[in-house]
Amino acid sequence: MIEVKGLCKYFKNVKAVDNINFTVSEGEIVGLLGENGAGKTTTLRMIATMLKPTSGTALINGYDLLKEPDKVRSNIGILFGGEAGLYDRLTARENIKYFADLNNMNENESRENIDRLVKMLDMEEYVDRRVGKFSRGMKQKVAIARSIVHNPKVMLFDEPTLGLDVTSSKIVQDFILSCKNENKAIVFSSHSMQEVEKLCDRIVIIHKGKIIEDMRVDDFKGKYGEDFEKAFVGLVGDK
Amino acid sequence: MNMKAIMIVFKKELTDLLRDKKTVIVGILIPLIIFPIMFGLIGRSVEGNIKKTSENLKIAIQSQDKSQLAVFLKSQKNITVVDSNDIKKDVQEGKIYVGLIIPQNIEESIKDEKSAEIKIIYDDTSQNSNMACNIIKSLIEEYSKEIVKSRLMSKGIDYSILTPINIKEEIAAKDEGGFGKFMLSLLLPLMLIIYGMTGPMAAATDLGAGEKERGTLEPLLTTQAGRMSLLFGKLLSITVMGFMGTVSSIIGLMIGVKAGGSVFGGDMPLLLSPITVIMIGIFVLLIIMVFGALELSISIYARSFKEAQTYLSPLTIIGMAGAYGTYMIDVKNVSTILFNVPLANVSLIIKEFIIGIYNPLHIGMTFGWNLVYIFLAVLFARYMFSKEEVIFRA
Ligand SMILES: Nc1ncnc2c1ncn2[C@@H]1O[C@H](COP(=O)(O)OP(=O)(O)O)[C@@H](O)[C@H]1O
Ligand SMILES: [Mg+2]
Repeated sequence: MIEVKGLCKYFKNVKAVDNINFTVSEGEIVGLLGENGAGKTTTLRMIATMLKPTSGTALINGYDLLKEPDKVRSNIGILFGGEAGLYDRLTARENIKYFADLNNMNENESRENIDRLVKMLDMEEYVDRRVGKFSRGMKQKVAIARSIVHNPKVMLFDEPTLGLDVTSSKIVQDFILSCKNENKAIVFSSHSMQEVEKLCDRIVIIHKGKIIEDMRVDDFKGKYGEDFEKAFVGLVGDK
Repeated sequence: MNMKAIMIVFKKELTDLLRDKKTVIVGILIPLIIFPIMFGLIGRSVEGNIKKTSENLKIAIQSQDKSQLAVFLKSQKNITVVDSNDIKKDVQEGKIYVGLIIPQNIEESIKDEKSAEIKIIYDDTSQNSNMACNIIKSLIEEYSKEIVKSRLMSKGIDYSILTPINIKEEIAAKDEGGFGKFMLSLLLPLMLIIYGMTGPMAAATDLGAGEKERGTLEPLLTTQAGRMSLLFGKLLSITVMGFMGTVSSIIGLMIGVKAGGSVFGGDMPLLLSPITVIMIGIFVLLIIMVFGALELSISIYARSFKEAQTYLSPLTIIGMAGAYGTYMIDVKNVSTILFNVPLANVSLIIKEFIIGIYNPLHIGMTFGWNLVYIFLAVLFARYMFSKEEVIFRA
């Protein structure tokens, strides 16, 4: 579970994130929706302990990211950006294993987890080949397996389908839904209203670093009607 | 920072780097074979050329080619006298190596116990001509000594009257191979410093900027391994890569010197004892660590591979300056103050080791200072790794 409490991040005089608050429960997918430069990546980087907040904090599974960043890191998995970000000269298994090792897993645990993920994602055929020559979709699966190999309770996705083809996007979206089935707390950022509508339980709209709307997808439909794109443009355009 | 995480990072990075054909070829393989090939070719061709020229000296003799001197020269196995209408032109064009102009009256001059003047025409820009000139000169000298001998003999004087003092040369170096060591003391520090600097560069670029460019840095930063473990694992693997490159270039140099034959002093590398090699190795390692840490700091600041390469090139110039600055210094009477100067101190200490000086003060100063540099360089790398503005430089 994630509790974001008054998070702020200023870069010099740019208020990239300006006092935002929201919570994500277990088994819930929250869509962080905003235009380019709205502050989505910065928010997720702070939750992932990569950036220090200017003020405010967040609790991840009860651990404060300011006080216990190590504990927070052991509880989160991230999939950032469309590009998979793998080591081309390592095999798929080595790529995944590296992150299992860095997350303090012992040999048995990591082997079991990797085998399970390989089966789940249908990677048996190529898991021991170097990823350099993999297709987009194959790489995406490796990145997915890597993000979750250490059994995190919280998953952070930052525009994970950006620039992906339809097949790879589908792989990622299915993965997000499977995380929900495993009862993880999930934040998923996007600038596509459609994608958010399809996957999320709740919508948090962020604009110029501030939250301008936070409600259940069903309620959102009730309030703004079925045309999400129009509603979003209307909301953002106002400000 | 924890040891286990450092080792995980170290092992992964080393595997990754060693699987990179380009890094291995440029960083390890080429240094290993470039010197043998280069020196071998140079050595062979220089040696071959010397042999070719000295075995077949093409000269031309003008006017008195029936004189005793001409006959003496012609009787030399390695001299071929050819006809020439224009000696100067033929020398310039390389058709003959040297031309001799022997005066008409040479026989009379010798008989009358006077001095005769012989002109040698040669081309001082041509190696072959220079060499031929020297050989001819010494032959003429030999010939003229014979004349002196017979002149003295005819007067009943012993020839040794001309050499009241005989010079016998003896080299005052501690052991054999003084010249080889001297050459080595010029060459090796220069090379080692340049290698210590360029050796870790490819690895540092890949492990800093490369990580950003691939998009692997963000997931890496959210693992349990802290930033410092990542940093030290990376530094360790960069150091090892740099050291492997340096070692292979030294081995290459040694093979190269052998392949080059007598031109490079033949068995030069055998002049260094294992202890000397180890002592030199330790100091090279220190330099690699300093540069490795600096290069990684710069590399992590860069947004991309290309940018990293651009930022790293000025470092090369600094290294070169340090290495060349001490190139000609004679360590037999070097000022101790110089051992406070970065790079210069390592260059000098390596020179000392090569010629067999082990000065505890110099060793201590150099070692101490380099530990300080490593400490500062690592501190800088630490600072860079902990700065958000650096890691997430947009
Ligand atoms: N490292 C940084 N340094 C300075 N400004 C930054 C940095 N990262 C992001 N910003 C600024 O913060 C704002 C929010 O950026 P970001 O969180 O990346 O938005 P989003 O992910 O929603 O597109 C933007 O104005 C961006 O220019
Ligand atoms: Mg973003």
